[in-house]
Amino acid sequence: MIKFDNISKRYADGQEALVDVSFEVSRGELAFITGHSGAGKSTLLKLILAIESPSSGQLIANGINLSRISSKQIALHRRQIGTVFQDHQLLHDRSVFDNVALPLEICGYHPTDAGRRVRAALDKVGLLKKEKSFPAALSGGEQQRVGIARAVVNRPRIILADEPTGNLDPALSREVMEVFEQFQSVGVCLLVASHNASLIERLNCRTLVLDSGRLVADQKPRSDS
Amino acid sequence: MSVSKRSQAAAPKPQVKSRPKPNTRVGRNESFSDLLQIHRRLAKNSGRRLVQTPVSSFITVFVIAVSLLLPALLFSLNSNLTSVLAGFEDSAQVTLYLHAGISDADAKEVSNDLLSLETMNYASYISPAQALDEFGTATGLENLLQEMASNPLPGAIVVTPANVSPTAVDDLVRQLQDLPEVDLVQIDSRWLQRLAAISELVGAIGRVLSLIVILGLFFIVGNTIKLAVENRKAEIRVIKLVGGSDMFAARAFLYTGLFYGLGGGILAIALQGIVLVTFNSSLEALMQLYEGDFQLRGFSLANGLVVVLAGATIGWTAALLTSLRHIRGISP
Repeated sequence: MIKFDNISKRYADGQEALVDVSFEVSRGELAFITGHSGAGKSTLLKLILAIESPSSGQLIANGINLSRISSKQIALHRRQIGTVFQDHQLLHDRSVFDNVALPLEICGYHPTDAGRRVRAALDKVGLLKKEKSFPAALSGGEQQRVGIARAVVNRPRIILADEPTGNLDPALSREVMEVFEQFQSVGVCLLVASHNASLIERLNCRTLVLDSGRLVADQKPRSDS
Repeated sequence: MSVSKRSQAAAPKPQVKSRPKPNTRVGRNESFSDLLQIHRRLAKNSGRRLVQTPVSSFITVFVIAVSLLLPALLFSLNSNLTSVLAGFEDSAQVTLYLHAGISDADAKEVSNDLLSLETMNYASYISPAQALDEFGTATGLENLLQEMASNPLPGAIVVTPANVSPTAVDDLVRQLQDLPEVDLVQIDSRWLQRLAAISELVGAIGRVLSLIVILGLFFIVGNTIKLAVENRKAEIRVIKLVGGSDMFAARAFLYTGLFYGLGGGILAIALQGIVLVTFNSSLEALMQLYEGDFQLRGFSLANGLVVVLAGATIGWTAALLTSLRHIRGISP
């Protein structure tokens, strides 16, 4: 589903964000990306979203070669990916419901169909009662969960999450990860950038460790559990 | 703040097999009523944003209105002139001054001959004595004139040609000039032709001004939309991040442009009404001096519609072009 083949990314200012990174994440796989801040986690996610393009190497996501993608294809490509952003990226002049509905609106869903899906997604993150609220009235954790609902509402093939549990207490973190695991079980490919060592330890998933832009470890899940 | 138990019970809904086909096309599921709903919402949001900043919205609308007003007033003036000309058109009058020494009988015969021509609507002889009488009455110099030894005025024939187009009248004049009895031919309606030329000029200025105004309106609306795009950069970024096309992001601005243009057009008609009321009162005073009866007429319904439609079209197009251009430049 996602294949990095000797990917390097050097920014215009000369900073080496990723150096010769190769890995593959397949359908129905949940992988964590970890590493200290500045290790290249965000850059890696940006490359998959085609926000940045790799300096060298080949990157294939969802069957599309992202090294050679036109600007029109980029929009279509992003519709297949649900993304949870670290800074939520919510629209503050729209209600929670309308925020979650945005990807469906973009894809041209029938309003009643969209409404059903939005409520299902909000129910999954426990925010059904807040559908009429505005993001500014929500706590950081609630905003985070609105972002998660928006990422999954379109039933994407790939879910990317940048610190999705950053603002959540351990109980909520666990529940959010359960939502992710539900998607994993139906064949969605998930890539989660996280600092949360205990969560990673407990979930026992594949973990990619980045250090100064290099992939230093690719830990497979322990087979004993 | 905990995830409801229900949601956990509601096991994973997404099923790979039953997953709807990838939603890669905007408008996939849009029926007419959905479209209507979407557009109603976009229009409502755009309208709300305009009302939220009433002063700056009004200034923009006012500038658009004034820009539309100038060429519209010129066209209106021109159509007024044209209608004045139309009123006079069938009364083109030509006067033939006869040589001195032509007898009344001869002159009358010439007049009758002219009347029998197909190209002539009307011909009438005015004898020198008649002319002197009329001159005396008009000037109040009867007594003085009676003391003159001889009548200095020539006889004249006044004719009205059937065909009043300037070329036809010119042809006729040349023909009449060749008559042996005729000394001088004078077209009394020459001033009408001058007025027609002026009207032509006003029309031409109006057309050129319209082009300039259209260009100017593009810049005015374009600049306003550019600022609106700038203000909503964060929102456009999010839309792009979740896969919205440039066109999707631009949709929000199209109604803004449309509303600016529509508002400008409607205000232009209102302003034109004010201008006409002001003009007509002073025009009335002027016309009373000339014992005339002339009123500037406002836009016809069709003209008003053209102004409003022009404003709306320019507003919408300018919004489309500028918003797309600036949205393309925003990267997430």
